[in-house]
Amino acid sequence: MSEVIMRVENLTKKFPVSDGKFLTACDDITFDVVKGETVGIVGESGCGKTTLLKAIMNMQKPTSGKIIFHGEDITQLTGEAKRQNYRRIQMIFQDPTAAFNPKMKIRDIICEPLLNFDLIAKSEVDAKARELLTQVDLPADFVERYPHNMSGGQRQRVAIARALALEPEVIACDEATSALDVSVQDTIIKLLVKLQREKGITYIFICHDLALVSMFSHKIAVMYLGNIMEKIDGDKLSGARHPYTHALLKAVFSTEREKNQYIEILPGEIPSPLDVPSGCPFRNRCTYCQEICTTQKPPFEEIENNHFVACHYPLNKAH
Amino acid sequence: MLLDVKNLAVSYGKNKTPTISGVNFELDEGKILAIVGESGSGKTTVIRAILNVLPGGGYVSEGKIIFNGRDLSELDADSWRSLRGKDISMIFQDSGAMMNPVHTIGKQFVEYIQTHSDLDKKSAYDMAVEKLELMNLPNPENILKSYTFELSGGMRQRVGIAMAITFQPKLLLADEPTSALDVTTQAQIVGELMFITRGTGAAMIIVTHNLGVASYLSDNLIVMSQGKIVEAGATDDVVKNPRHNYTKSLLASVPEMGRRRYV
Repeated sequence: MSEVIMRVENLTKKFPVSDGKFLTACDDITFDVVKGETVGIVGESGCGKTTLLKAIMNMQKPTSGKIIFHGEDITQLTGEAKRQNYRRIQMIFQDPTAAFNPKMKIRDIICEPLLNFDLIAKSEVDAKARELLTQVDLPADFVERYPHNMSGGQRQRVAIARALALEPEVIACDEATSALDVSVQDTIIKLLVKLQREKGITYIFICHDLALVSMFSHKIAVMYLGNIMEKIDGDKLSGARHPYTHALLKAVFSTEREKNQYIEILPGEIPSPLDVPSGCPFRNRCTYCQEICTTQKPPFEEIENNHFVACHYPLNKAH
Repeated sequence: MLLDVKNLAVSYGKNKTPTISGVNFELDEGKILAIVGESGSGKTTVIRAILNVLPGGGYVSEGKIIFNGRDLSELDADSWRSLRGKDISMIFQDSGAMMNPVHTIGKQFVEYIQTHSDLDKKSAYDMAVEKLELMNLPNPENILKSYTFELSGGMRQRVGIAMAITFQPKLLLADEPTSALDVTTQAQIVGELMFITRGTGAAMIIVTHNLGVASYLSDNLIVMSQGKIVEAGATDDVVKNPRHNYTKSLLASVPEMGRRRYV
């Protein structure tokens, strides 16, 4: 039986804005993360994916809810216990250029977390940096370089090496491949999968590209306006039943698509999170909206094994 | 033939080796050409050379660009001014960034229309409203009163396209027009670009790194790598039967739904 490493329970994050209103970035989110698996979180900009990740990283305190990691609620940690927790959860950012100090050499960038936790002596830095670079398939003599001497793909590998340095159990990736070319993106994904097999790392991977996420995620959660609309096994994505997931699937431009095939377009734009519609958050863009959708928020229910949908009228199959 | 690019090479500054070289292609009226390639392959340089807006000391060092029977290298500044934004116009990756953030969109749109026509302010304003309506923008008069930062990315891009098509240009140059957008918005904008070009008969060159969008939109496809064209042809041929190894590897790395899984 697979072991649940992290459990997010009823996580809600509201940001206060002017006039005493609140911006709801994450609304009552619950999901499990299984050890050694990848959870892909997909959604459009402004749907709260990054806020969710920041809560998991313990960089932002949620308004309510729990994140259970190794039997304790990490959102309640303070001081040294909180700092030690960072050793177990590391992060890879979207833009590797902005994630590094441009005046530090790669050697110091990679080993800074180790020095912060007094895990190695200064004399061991060089050897350790070389070892980590080899793990991410970069030449060991890159230790002498600065971030600007490298290509985007190489920098992202360095970011992975730095995340690996503390041997974390969970790595959170925030759009880690979005800034890269498709061919580079492919090699980075292969590297992440290889490392997962070797070390049993758990990934929480945030991305807006459903096709990319479907390639390597064990579980996929689709977010919309701070809510998880559907959660499904990665290999069963074609059996998605939420109208929003269907819309996302149809919006992917495939090179295998027949020329001039009619593209079905989701009308309108994502509503402001300051002004979330009553009932189902997706209702004013949904073609299947019924009266009950405007008044009652659909519950997040398990309709098949490991397949959760928040919809009053889930669709039958992907078409 | 609308546009004929012959043996084009572009160099920057004192650098002797050209950034792009040996670029040859033709474009007929009403056709869509897509240029794909990775960052740094020179795809944007090609369309910037056509519009003569190469950045930082870039210049055409070899070859010719013939548009509508005229050699563009012989134009003086005045002819360029009347050509740009009228016969050839450009859609940028982020249309918000091409506009002045401290003036309203309406002010800039009306100014643009008046620069290229004899219309008075009132009729120029009406024309702007009409073009925004064409792009499915709700409440165009409100949009003309807004500043760029008040609009969402998709709305800004629609305003940019509305401005670009105002004078029914013969040639539209689109530089990564959907790359900064969400997938659902991207689908909307791609659908609108298709509708606009088919409707007005404008030819379009779209530069993109998204092979899916390129193959959906275009009649012809050019694949560039390191400043050279590595493969060119009818889109269906290139996508379905790629000959060059680079094209093959590029196509293989596009994430596709249900094609392969690593776990």
